[in-house]
Amino acid sequence: MATTSPPGFRLLGGRIPYIEGPLKVSGRAEYTDDIKRPGMLFGGLLRSPWAHARLRSIDVRAARAMPGVFAVLTGERYPTPFGVLPMTHDETAIAVGKARYVGDILAAVAASDEVTAEQALRAIRVDAEILPEYADPKVGVLPVKEPIHARGLAGTNIQKEVVQHFGDVDAALRLAAHTVRVRGIFPGVTHAFTEPLVTIAEATPDGRLTVWSATQVPHYLHRSLSEVLGIPMHRIRVIKPEVGGGFGGKSDPLPHEIVCAALAIETGRPVKLRVDREDVFLTNHGRHPTQNDVTIATDPDGHILAYDIDALIEGGAWSSFGTVTTYYNGVLSMGPYKVPNFRYRGRRVYTNKPPSGAMRAHGGTNIRYSVEVALDELAEKIGIDPFELRRRNALPPGSTTINEFRITSTSFLRCLEAAREKSGWEGKFRKQPFGRGVGLGCGFYISGSNSPIHFTPKMPQSTVHLKVDMDGGIAVHSMQADIGQGSNTLLAAIVAEVLGVDLERVHVVRVDSDVSPIDLGSYSSRVTFMMGNAARLAAEDLRNKLLEAASHLVGHPVEQLVVGHERIEVRHRPEIGTSFLEALHAAMEHTGALTATGAYSSPPMGGTFKGARAGTAPAYSFAAYVAEVEVDAETGEFHVETVWAAFDCGRPLNRLAVEGQIEGSIHMGLGQLMGETMSYRGTRLMNPSLLEYKIPAPQQMPRVECLLVGEDDPEGPFGAKEAGEGPLVATLPAVANALYDAVGVRFATLPITPDRVVKGIEERRRSGRAWKGA
Amino acid sequence: MHLDPFELHRPASVGEAVELTRKFGPACDLLAGGTDLLPNYKMHLNVKRHLVALGDVAELRTHSLERIGAMTRLGELERDTAFRATYPGLAEAIGEVATPLVRASATVGGNLLVETRCFFFNQSYFWRDSLGYCLKADGDRCHVVPQKERCYATFSGDLAPALGVLNASIEIAGPTGLRTVNVLDLYDAAGDGIRRHHLAEGEIVTAILLPDSARRVRSTYRKLRIRPTFDFPELGIAASLDLDGSRVRALAIAAGGLETYPKRFDEFTAPLVGAPLTAEAITAIADQIMRSVRPVYNTFLAPDYRKRMVAVYVRRALEHLSGVRAEAAG
Repeated sequence: MATTSPPGFRLLGGRIPYIEGPLKVSGRAEYTDDIKRPGMLFGGLLRSPWAHARLRSIDVRAARAMPGVFAVLTGERYPTPFGVLPMTHDETAIAVGKARYVGDILAAVAASDEVTAEQALRAIRVDAEILPEYADPKVGVLPVKEPIHARGLAGTNIQKEVVQHFGDVDAALRLAAHTVRVRGIFPGVTHAFTEPLVTIAEATPDGRLTVWSATQVPHYLHRSLSEVLGIPMHRIRVIKPEVGGGFGGKSDPLPHEIVCAALAIETGRPVKLRVDREDVFLTNHGRHPTQNDVTIATDPDGHILAYDIDALIEGGAWSSFGTVTTYYNGVLSMGPYKVPNFRYRGRRVYTNKPPSGAMRAHGGTNIRYSVEVALDELAEKIGIDPFELRRRNALPPGSTTINEFRITSTSFLRCLEAAREKSGWEGKFRKQPFGRGVGLGCGFYISGSNSPIHFTPKMPQSTVHLKVDMDGGIAVHSMQADIGQGSNTLLAAIVAEVLGVDLERVHVVRVDSDVSPIDLGSYSSRVTFMMGNAARLAAEDLRNKLLEAASHLVGHPVEQLVVGHERIEVRHRPEIGTSFLEALHAAMEHTGALTATGAYSSPPMGGTFKGARAGTAPAYSFAAYVAEVEVDAETGEFHVETVWAAFDCGRPLNRLAVEGQIEGSIHMGLGQLMGETMSYRGTRLMNPSLLEYKIPAPQQMPRVECLLVGEDDPEGPFGAKEAGEGPLVATLPAVANALYDAVGVRFATLPITPDRVVKGIEERRRSGRAWKGA
Repeated sequence: MHLDPFELHRPASVGEAVELTRKFGPACDLLAGGTDLLPNYKMHLNVKRHLVALGDVAELRTHSLERIGAMTRLGELERDTAFRATYPGLAEAIGEVATPLVRASATVGGNLLVETRCFFFNQSYFWRDSLGYCLKADGDRCHVVPQKERCYATFSGDLAPALGVLNASIEIAGPTGLRTVNVLDLYDAAGDGIRRHHLAEGEIVTAILLPDSARRVRSTYRKLRIRPTFDFPELGIAASLDLDGSRVRALAIAAGGLETYPKRFDEFTAPLVGAPLTAEAITAIADQIMRSVRPVYNTFLAPDYRKRMVAVYVRRALEHLSGVRAEAAG
């Protein structure tokens, strides 16, 4: 395999094509919808046409009597509430008592085919009392007539309120030489992953339930199935086939997954439940619609004195990850700068709309936008270069933030240096003609949440098992969820690297709770860091067994042996040694197949105040992006020509994957910036289709120059940190600040559509402020 | 989303197609490339019991520089270098339709007869059911302009304006034989907005005819949309110009993506014939056209912006064709 690994490595650090690539490009990779079971039925979901309604009765008799219909379910059959976070279980598989948004599930059927299922759904009669509907979180912060959930704060629709204050912000504001305030307004955006949601479930007469699902979190799904269905976890088997993208949209246990399993139990037959694209939009769990007010104060030289932040975020109908989101919208502003005084109030409010949840760069994207735009404005106000302002405030390695985040490695200064130099900033900033500009935006993101979602029982965040028999093939088991981001490839590469074997010896076994030890799943950018460490330890465990056996074969003590290519040999005397297979066969003489295990738990960290764990991570990624834009000032259309993406992911273990993540993140960030929006009139989603939800087209992609300048992280596997979410956050402010350089307009409301650009330019001209002579 | 069952008819000749269309009347739709009709059928929008598929009618599939069979795929015209060189403005419009994949199926006739579009119409059965249906499908009111008994869905074809400024005409076969109309006269501009064309029962668009003059004039097409692919027009401006020295011999401007029908602005362009095309004239005409259009809020971009862009797009189109630089209006 062609790679260009750094010295000391054979695979890691090079460009490693995805091991499942040939299967995917030939159409042979098995996704959930490719699976067919004998006698399989199809499920269908009746969705609420009302945004908010009390359910008086649901008459399913006609549907049940239809030929080809095997089961009809309503909410009271499995009413146990669930949710991804244990403290906010407010979802049910099927609505109980109330419908809370247009799209809420009211009933489900299992039928011989999908057309019959659809007809049966139309035969269900629902008697409902229409309730006042709440589309605006600003209304929901006050007491309302009919709170969406009983658990809302004091008769309001507030789901969660966070108040934090470190240092003395008021005093800092009084002392400040410069203050800038930005109010950012961000409509919701959604993941728009390629593979729609789909689940298959099968209950068998031996009392077991098997569930195949397009999920990022097989373990959380496993738990929720058990809780809601009342079946012990050991009798449930969760399988994750290939997944066609997630971006957080498959990181909750979702109602349709539980409904599908329930239908399988009711019918005793396998049931497939496919969620169509419109219903994927309605299932949402995308980025929270947000309004944030960010005040940043500095001393005369631009040293940050304080952040004062208020965020109002819209949760939609359910809690989902919302409690975490409410914290993140404040605390993820803490890097990459030193902030000595920090005050935050965050409120998450239920509305009668599709639920918000976690989406790539969860909780960090919107706050980062406002902070970086404010810093750009501060630099202008103070009269210093935006790079210089950032440099003066950079958090050093080995520091602690005021809210007690532990910053181990940071190559932020190197990011700044690389982005500045490669972009030709010096010759461009404020120097190009009207309509052309460059802008700087920086980033900071967690490399794996330090807090597991569940605290009981105490267990590692990731475990990896290896098994190797006389054939010499190494089977790797782990519940880590490859959703297209390349974690299977990384897992195999780490094992192959440590054992010195070729990559094709390693087989990553499909996630299957019967055989895969628990890894918490693909969210919070945790996989490379946590699974990577677990995999390394497992491989080292196996290597030690092989070294022991080899020591007897070659007659040298273990301490003198090293791993070569498919070989174990004496250090500095490679001609003395034994092959991998010989060592293996010797090692298994008395035990049979060898097994090995590795596990990772993040070290203790964080403060002891309420909410102190939110945002703590064993490491953080850093970024400095420069974007260059060309604006058509008359039509407001603009093109992002180039993004210089300087990123600190520690040591990149698979450059191909890291560059893919950076390019994909930029594409996704540009989507939110340029046109993607969950467009509502009242509570009604107007654009639940990929035609009207404006994901940028390939022609809109800038040229991307990836500058991977990170230095080794002390705790990351081989020095690595995350590269899945952090690469997104810097994108949006870099482009917004470039637009300012181009046309002299600050954009605080997203998306920046051409009509807003035209309006902004006109307002500036009307106010008499010339920009670059225009 | 699933297609309701329908009966598929596959005539082998125009005569058979006319006969089937006449026989089933309002209970049938014509199926050309299917890229517009079938997605609408999946949303259960005005579904008919009978589909008359024109794919086997060989005489509809040929094209020359003078005559384009209605079933010619957009992709075929795109690959025809002689066609592209002869009608660069038309080729621009074709290249702006949807995506290469869609253009591989979509036909010229289908694009002329593309269904008008609206946020309240192009939605699933569930979506429309939960809101209450609209005038254009299953309902009795308009959600865009609630007081009106008229439909305001937007005409979203790219070819009609581009063909309109070339004075192309449409050949129509019907029970009583062939007739020919100017391309933009195909559309029922005085109607209620729901019925979009003047085709009588049993009539089929068989070809687009391009006159000699279409090969003399220069023409262009410019399309406003959020993304440079996929999207239907938020505005489409076509213009053609024939100059005699600096004087206008012929000038035509047409727009789509704004109102229920594509439209030509002869009332503003006619006075310029025989006169020089100055910067002032370009600015004035762009402004007049802008003032005359009435987009409504049923596409992605706000109607006031789309209206304003009419002036910019017209001006730029004329600048491009004439080489004259005009000032931005306002």
